[in-house]
Amino acid sequence: MELKFRNRYYKAEEDVHSLPRVAAETHPLSVQSTSCGDQVDVTDYGGDKFFDPLRGSYGKPEDSMKDFGSTATEITSEPYKDVAIQFPGKEWTSYKKVLMQKFPVSKMISVSSLSSSIMKTCKGPEKSSANVHLEELDDPQRFAEEGVKYITLQEYVSHLTELKDEISRAWHANDRVTSLNLSIKVAKLLSDTSVLQLYPTLFVIATEILDMLGDMVWERITQKAQYTEDGTLAHLPDNFQATEICAEAKETCYNWFSKVGSIRELLPHIYLELAIYHCWRFLLEQPADNLPRLVMMARGIADPLASFYCRLYLAHCAQKIPQRNIGHLIISMNDMKTLLMNGELVASEEKTSGVLSGTRSSKLGLMEPAIEYVMKCLFKESRELQIGDILMGLGLGRNQSELFGNSSCVSLVLHHLLRELPIGIVCSNALDILHLIECSNDYSFDQCLNYKLLGLRLCENISHVKEVNLVMKKVIQVVSRLNSLDEYLNVVDTHIDIVLPKHMNSFLDSILDGIFERTSDEEIGENELSSLQSILLKLLNHFDNLENILQLNHFNQILSVMQGSSRTIINMRILSIATRSSCIRDPTTIQFLFEVSRSLHDNIDLSTIKDKENNHSAHLISRFIHMVDYGSEVEHHLAFLVQCRGAFGSMSEVKETIVHSSNLLVVKATRNDISDVNFVKSCIACSEVTIPSIPSHLKQLNLSLETAEVALMAGLVSHSDGLVDSALRCLHNVDLLEGSRMPKDVDGFQSTLCKFCSLIVMIPGNIELGVTSIPRNMFSILSSLSWMLPSMKAKVLCALILTVSALSQNNLLYHAIHDEVMGNDSLFFCDQQYLQELLSFSAVILQSLIDAVLQEPIQAARGNLALDACNAIASSFEVCQGASDICSKLVETAKLSLSSNNKYLQSTIRFLNSRGLMQGESCKKAGD
Amino acid sequence: MSIEIKLSRSNRIYRPNELVEGKIVTKLSSSISHQGIRLNVNASVNLQVRGGSVGVIESLYGVIKPITILNKTVEVLKSGRISSGTTEIPFSFTLKDQGEEPLERFYETYHGGDISIQYLASVNISRGYLHKPLSATLEFIIQSEKENLPEKPLSPEMVIFYMTQDTQRHSLLPELKSGGFRVSGKVCTLCSLSDPIEGELTVESSAVPVQSIDIHLLRVESILVGEKIATETSLIQTTQIADGDVCRGMTLPIYIILPRLLTCPSIFAGPFSIEFKVTIVITFQSEQSKLHQKSNFKTPKSWHAMESVPLELIRTK
Repeated sequence: MELKFRNRYYKAEEDVHSLPRVAAETHPLSVQSTSCGDQVDVTDYGGDKFFDPLRGSYGKPEDSMKDFGSTATEITSEPYKDVAIQFPGKEWTSYKKVLMQKFPVSKMISVSSLSSSIMKTCKGPEKSSANVHLEELDDPQRFAEEGVKYITLQEYVSHLTELKDEISRAWHANDRVTSLNLSIKVAKLLSDTSVLQLYPTLFVIATEILDMLGDMVWERITQKAQYTEDGTLAHLPDNFQATEICAEAKETCYNWFSKVGSIRELLPHIYLELAIYHCWRFLLEQPADNLPRLVMMARGIADPLASFYCRLYLAHCAQKIPQRNIGHLIISMNDMKTLLMNGELVASEEKTSGVLSGTRSSKLGLMEPAIEYVMKCLFKESRELQIGDILMGLGLGRNQSELFGNSSCVSLVLHHLLRELPIGIVCSNALDILHLIECSNDYSFDQCLNYKLLGLRLCENISHVKEVNLVMKKVIQVVSRLNSLDEYLNVVDTHIDIVLPKHMNSFLDSILDGIFERTSDEEIGENELSSLQSILLKLLNHFDNLENILQLNHFNQILSVMQGSSRTIINMRILSIATRSSCIRDPTTIQFLFEVSRSLHDNIDLSTIKDKENNHSAHLISRFIHMVDYGSEVEHHLAFLVQCRGAFGSMSEVKETIVHSSNLLVVKATRNDISDVNFVKSCIACSEVTIPSIPSHLKQLNLSLETAEVALMAGLVSHSDGLVDSALRCLHNVDLLEGSRMPKDVDGFQSTLCKFCSLIVMIPGNIELGVTSIPRNMFSILSSLSWMLPSMKAKVLCALILTVSALSQNNLLYHAIHDEVMGNDSLFFCDQQYLQELLSFSAVILQSLIDAVLQEPIQAARGNLALDACNAIASSFEVCQGASDICSKLVETAKLSLSSNNKYLQSTIRFLNSRGLMQGESCKKAGD
Repeated sequence: MSIEIKLSRSNRIYRPNELVEGKIVTKLSSSISHQGIRLNVNASVNLQVRGGSVGVIESLYGVIKPITILNKTVEVLKSGRISSGTTEIPFSFTLKDQGEEPLERFYETYHGGDISIQYLASVNISRGYLHKPLSATLEFIIQSEKENLPEKPLSPEMVIFYMTQDTQRHSLLPELKSGGFRVSGKVCTLCSLSDPIEGELTVESSAVPVQSIDIHLLRVESILVGEKIATETSLIQTTQIADGDVCRGMTLPIYIILPRLLTCPSIFAGPFSIEFKVTIVITFQSEQSKLHQKSNFKTPKSWHAMESVPLELIRTK
């Protein structure tokens, strides 16, 4: 069983096997393939899993809403829901949801005596509201003393839900009077605004109950209305007219309005009438005619919060009738405006009398949704032509052409007006609106935020903004008067979107000057940071080029006042812009980016939780280091790398890049004949020092091999030997399992070892240690790794066999570039001892290989491995009995595992035949 | 065994010149024989005088003899048998007999405090001496004939009112007197029963915060007792139009749907009269008002301000 290495004539083989080469017309990675890449991206994000950052914020408040169960959505599943009135439903449901989320309620709420007395009687419908009222009258003192009670939100809501069930139950038991009485009770709860934060939630639940009652009434009258005057059944069309309705249905309907009209107290009276408001359609041709009266009735509710929400409900109920009318909405809005102006007096009085103004402003926040909703309805109902009417109705416009002629408006109302105004109007009246904002400065809303909003609106359609220069000039004038950084940034943040695309560089300069002046003497808070972040991001995205950005006034100074996560975001953006170009040469840019990277690095250490973000920043820094190019000043480059190693010590990815870069420097130096051995040595040393600090052994292994190769290229054999040694040490420590059951990155590891093998070919054998010391070491380490799978081992052993066979050649396949590094072919030319050593080692490997193949538990894999081994052996050894025995044995193994028409099996057999290593039956069979 | 009268109209409203139709529904467990089914229609104005407003002696009389508008009996069925189960026996009658002068005007149905005007139909099935007769009664509602009614006025008649500390006839809280207030408005004085009472009110100024503004709808019922007229004013309905210290200068609407049965066209008949009144009551916030929350329209307290306006109700086409 004497084996003998096969002699290879690489040049001849290459000529025989290589295909004729033809120049390609297009680069395989040019345009077409990028579009393909995009597609992949799209499918990645297009799925349901797409995470919308704007939606994120809803996540949390929703949790606290869990207590409510499905109250907010229940209404849609009610059987009483009528198709004709469903259209505003969806919008309303979502609006209610938002309302509840906006004002989450703490678990415990205090309930005033009035509410709690109503709540108590909820359960017993036999106790009429009049009785409760009498009780209160009998002993007002007791009620006053009892004061505030504490119940949980859960209890409160479940009370209301019970009440709702009770109403529905009574209705279906034909006890409609009880239903009505209980609904009145629910409406009465809305007059209690003592727990401010609870009010929106209460409003949502109570109006749900009232809507339910309204729908039930509607349903009942519809049933009656389906009969004509003479008693025949007819379908009631959705767009019916009051004249088509039979007298009995009208009678019932009128009765309902009479019942509701006899409610003594104002607030429940209005709410109940609103609940059944759409039923006016059975009685009146123009049901909308009653809306102004109801709006005016709401004026009688003195409590501003209650009256604002009453108007909100009114706007909602008005949408249930088909006629659209903006008149009532304008009255409603004007009333709210008046109340707010009135409130200002109250607010100022309260301040002087020492009442906390904080409660005032939180109340204002609670009232805001009503203004928002009414304004929304106003503009939803109107057509473009009516905008003039609206603005005149709100007291802003003098006539159709002078839409913003009058001087001021309550700033909170103005804010919501600005939000809803059609963009065309905003753009063509920007100057007037600016003037309006300037004149409208009161307690109800921050003036700056209105300026900010204007900017935001203008950006929606910059190209249509009239006299953009004048507008910006005015804005700059306004902001220059603002002393607080926060206010300044707020306004500038949105207007910068106008300045940038219009290239108004002088304005940009003054804005940046303004920011700089205000940053220098003020504490930077969270708000300011986020505004700064937004502004800088806009600048970065606009210029998209580092040079231009660095030329901006004070950019560096402004950047330096930033900190925390905002700073990180900006830093990352700068780096990603900078690293988009092919290389970075300018030393000042490099210095700037280095500082940016350092701040990014330093910020990240504090919050190591967000792993993904950290990876991204590490990646950006690595890219930057990779891009840096000092050209022929390699010494500087190396110094830079050393500096980076010091600065970014905690990022292993960056350290990898440093090793790559310093290796690259060596390659460059060798290529350009800068044969300064000391420089090369320092580069290698830099790599050598850096590698051990990288935590992953596999990465260390890779980098050691890379550096060893580079060292070999530079002729530093001793360095290369040392590095190979450390690579072997790393190999010993590699553990692909990392705690899991299956090894990870098997392919990567295998190719690393293949690369190692290919490196071995170039390394001159060390006579003292034995010429095969490196492969032998590798072999023994491989055998000692407990986690190695048989398949992995077999593959690596195949590679080793090929390596040993390659080493045996009289003329090696390739050599180290450096002249001073001799290949083994020259060192041991025709040295029998050397060949003997290789052969004896290969026998060991062969045995181990066959064992490994047989150990593979999966049949198909075993067959393939056997064929791999076969190919390796057939390529490496001359025809002889021993080799052909082993090959036949392996082919037999493969045949057991694979089907006879397996392509790999067939091609292997053909190869063996051509090499003459296959005899007997099996050969013929497969040859057929 | 049950007997019931059902009318052709579910709202039971008829006009004097209309034919009243309906059916008598009997639900019997076994068939019965009867000596005829008769329907009696009785309409009357019932009057009563309570103590206080007239002298002691008159009050002893209490109920004054009612004024009969109509009393007639119609035979629905001659004697015979009614089978077991549900039987419907139709009937019809007229209120006004042709050519016959009615006893009294057909006043509209009214349920008041001291005066009530009622139209009752009762059925009686007599079954001889051995069995108890079966009977049932049902009220039906009369509204004036359409033909004689006036047209709805195009614009309601309004009266303008002012309320200040000086227009009040009772004593006011010192702070009200000194601080002063001014509330103005208008309210209709002639109103169709099918329309709401409309008007408006504005709190122009008030030094003391307003607690509530209520509109009382009152009835004024007068009865001739002997030579004296006993007049009683009572509350029909209260409607709040302002809850709390409302914004000054904002116009609040007055809108009151007139309750059925409790109101009728204003009547000035010889032996009695029915009139209506609207009273605006402003309650001001004060320590004392907290203790006496019940507002009494008759005796205003010092934290109240009041204004009364007569209201004539009419039936229109």
